[in-house]
Amino acid sequence: MSRTVEITILSAENLQVNRKPVKGNTFVAVHSDASSDASPVTKVDSEGGSYPSWNEKVVVNVPLHARFITVEVKCKTSSSSTGSNSVGVARIPVSDFIGGYVPENQLHFLSYRLWDCNVRRNGVINISVRVKVPERSSCTSNSVSFSAVTGVPVAVNGSTGVVTGIPALWLNYQRNL
Amino acid sequence: MGGCFSDMKGGKQAVGGLREGTNAQNDAVDFFYRSQGFHQMFTQVEVYNVYGLVIFLLQLSLSASNLLDRDIASKSDPMVVVFTKKRDGKLEELGRTEVIMNCLNPEWIEKISVAFHFEIVQPLEFHVYDIDTKFHGVPTKTLKLGDQDFLGMTSCTLSEVSLIEFAIMDDNRVILAVLTKPSRRITLRLQNRSGNDGLRNLGALTVHADETVASRSVVEMVLRCSHLDNKDVFSKSDPFLRISRMVESGGYIPICKTEVINDNLNPMWKPVCLGGHKFGSKDNPLLIECFDFNSSGDHVLIGKMQKSVADLEKLYKERTGANFVIPSKRRRKEKVLKGQLFVDQYCEKQQFSFIDYISSGFELNFMVAVDFTASNGNPQHSDSLHYIDGHGRLNSYQKAIVEVGEVIQFYDSDRRFPAWGFGGRMPGGTVSHCFNLNGSTGGSEVVGVEGIMDAYGSALRSVSLSGPTLFGPVINMAAQMAAQSLASYNNTKYYVLLIITDGVVTDLQETINSLVKASDLPLSILIVGVGNADFTSMEVLDADNGRRLESSTGRIATRDIVQFVPMREVQSGQISVVQALLEELPEQFLSFMRSRDIKPQPPPSHFFQASTSTSTMK
Repeated sequence: MSRTVEITILSAENLQVNRKPVKGNTFVAVHSDASSDASPVTKVDSEGGSYPSWNEKVVVNVPLHARFITVEVKCKTSSSSTGSNSVGVARIPVSDFIGGYVPENQLHFLSYRLWDCNVRRNGVINISVRVKVPERSSCTSNSVSFSAVTGVPVAVNGSTGVVTGIPALWLNYQRNL
Repeated sequence: MGGCFSDMKGGKQAVGGLREGTNAQNDAVDFFYRSQGFHQMFTQVEVYNVYGLVIFLLQLSLSASNLLDRDIASKSDPMVVVFTKKRDGKLEELGRTEVIMNCLNPEWIEKISVAFHFEIVQPLEFHVYDIDTKFHGVPTKTLKLGDQDFLGMTSCTLSEVSLIEFAIMDDNRVILAVLTKPSRRITLRLQNRSGNDGLRNLGALTVHADETVASRSVVEMVLRCSHLDNKDVFSKSDPFLRISRMVESGGYIPICKTEVINDNLNPMWKPVCLGGHKFGSKDNPLLIECFDFNSSGDHVLIGKMQKSVADLEKLYKERTGANFVIPSKRRRKEKVLKGQLFVDQYCEKQQFSFIDYISSGFELNFMVAVDFTASNGNPQHSDSLHYIDGHGRLNSYQKAIVEVGEVIQFYDSDRRFPAWGFGGRMPGGTVSHCFNLNGSTGGSEVVGVEGIMDAYGSALRSVSLSGPTLFGPVINMAAQMAAQSLASYNNTKYYVLLIITDGVVTDLQETINSLVKASDLPLSILIVGVGNADFTSMEVLDADNGRRLESSTGRIATRDIVQFVPMREVQSGQISVVQALLEELPEQFLSFMRSRDIKPQPPPSHFFQASTSTSTMK
């Protein structure tokens, strides 16, 4: 038994190799422990350097007893077309997106510290995760949320006297963002 | 030339063209407004009708001339801070420009937005500072003004720059007339603090007021140049672009500049993002200038051209370049240069603002947690932070509840607020780190700010102060409520937890873990520190320095959700708690909505429609 998890590999930040910024040609491999499937791999990013972005969706089957998904940032070596070096690894606890207080079919935006093979901190990886739930249950939760929307009341006749000036300040902030 | 520097990386970074929380608007409809002696000029301007309150925004563009030179080796690095003077004479900061390096005649790019209140005279004060070199690279918002050299100040009222009249029609439409001074600008002599001019000429400040154009559209472009002239002797030019908007009264106002690319005659800049509020209409002529950056502040013009956004779009579609020109001294003609500008990418998109969401029914849900640890002092004694004064003077906790609550309840339609306490010993004898303030074992909700105040008062009588100071349980409780709403309210609710505390948190790492976990939820946390404890470790939670919170398992906060403010700084300074705390909230709200691509719903029909027109005095 396993669950289907959609992982979008968004981007990474501040990647280094030997304490120097990575020049580019990075890609990401994803696999879950307790799974024998081949690990899906993203395309190579050649433009972003040490701040690559992939925005690529991969689908992984996560066995019910799996506890971690591992994402590994790798760098294509210039010497051969097939070789690659590991830049950093992050182990993502499955509990970060399954079984918490967030409903299961929600989109999660998650970021993790990457560690290199010498167990040194190396940059951050940003991903989004959505657990595919069977058609049936997602339907029910949709209809629940839909009926709730129509019920949201909007205050219109809030007394203007109390708040004179304050929302205007808000506008200022929001404008200066 | 000059006048293109700002505050970071030696003035080489981009200003005004970055992706940002752009602007708000309403459903303003052009309306024909005639009044004798006024020449009509119709633009769609921004008018808000927020819960019945009519708000109109003006944009101030600032420039100065002949500023005092405070730096010995180079020129002053000026920045303007704009204040509004409140009725009690206190100054309240409205905004700051960027820092322009080495420049005595600066034209600032960052605009200052001022909300126009119809019913009151709004005196404005402008303070000009020379920002010390050691502060370059520090976000201007966090600069302490006391550490900077004062270059001069001046004041005026908003109505001296722009005069606005409005009327609400029977059918609830708002008619608005902007009667701007012919030139829309006013030049004011700078003075020293004592108000007299003294003998020295401190220079002058020019304020230009514009109504804010209503536009949700944002144009993102990737600009590139080829074959630029070389202006440097030993290396190649260090080019950057400056884009300015033409104003009706003549002249240009800079609206954005790109970063500097070193040593490159064929540069490609990072994407430039221009909001419709900046360039007006797509056919408005823009002045695009390419400069060679010089650290002395005297940038050399490489070439310029006049193009509208529509022209730039055409360049993109046709994949052609446009040639720069340079004024030629001899024949009074413009010389066409070899250097060309290309638009490699062009896209228009819609960006919604905080007000767009709020006015379409999105709500902020307010929650409060009050510190009941023993370090507050025995509530019976007048030196206690929890002392309730018989004469009705509010203690620090009550002040924070009232000030923040009264604003937030405005955005919360049912006014039912969960209220908790932490670090208190319950009547049963156990210490709780998240108990209901109303003493009920069931729901934690109370009604209105008065409800919070009553529950707080009664909790003080039944709960005895204890410890330690743990935030984790309260944050987890709030996170749980925010998470549940994800499924049931279709993302139209956003939660704001106010934690009021006197002390340094005992479970710092556990708090960080909870915050990291909550960073993916529709939740922001405002922490107010009361009393005189050392709050430096709390600043870690407020990830303002750009460092994201990291949990002990290596998960990193998706976004900054915490805002921390010590009450004593607020009381001594010129800002209100509300201002300080709520400053980051709209941005945090938008970061959540935008990351999930949640759009405002169509506006409900019972909102006022505003019709506007702008008139210029002839």
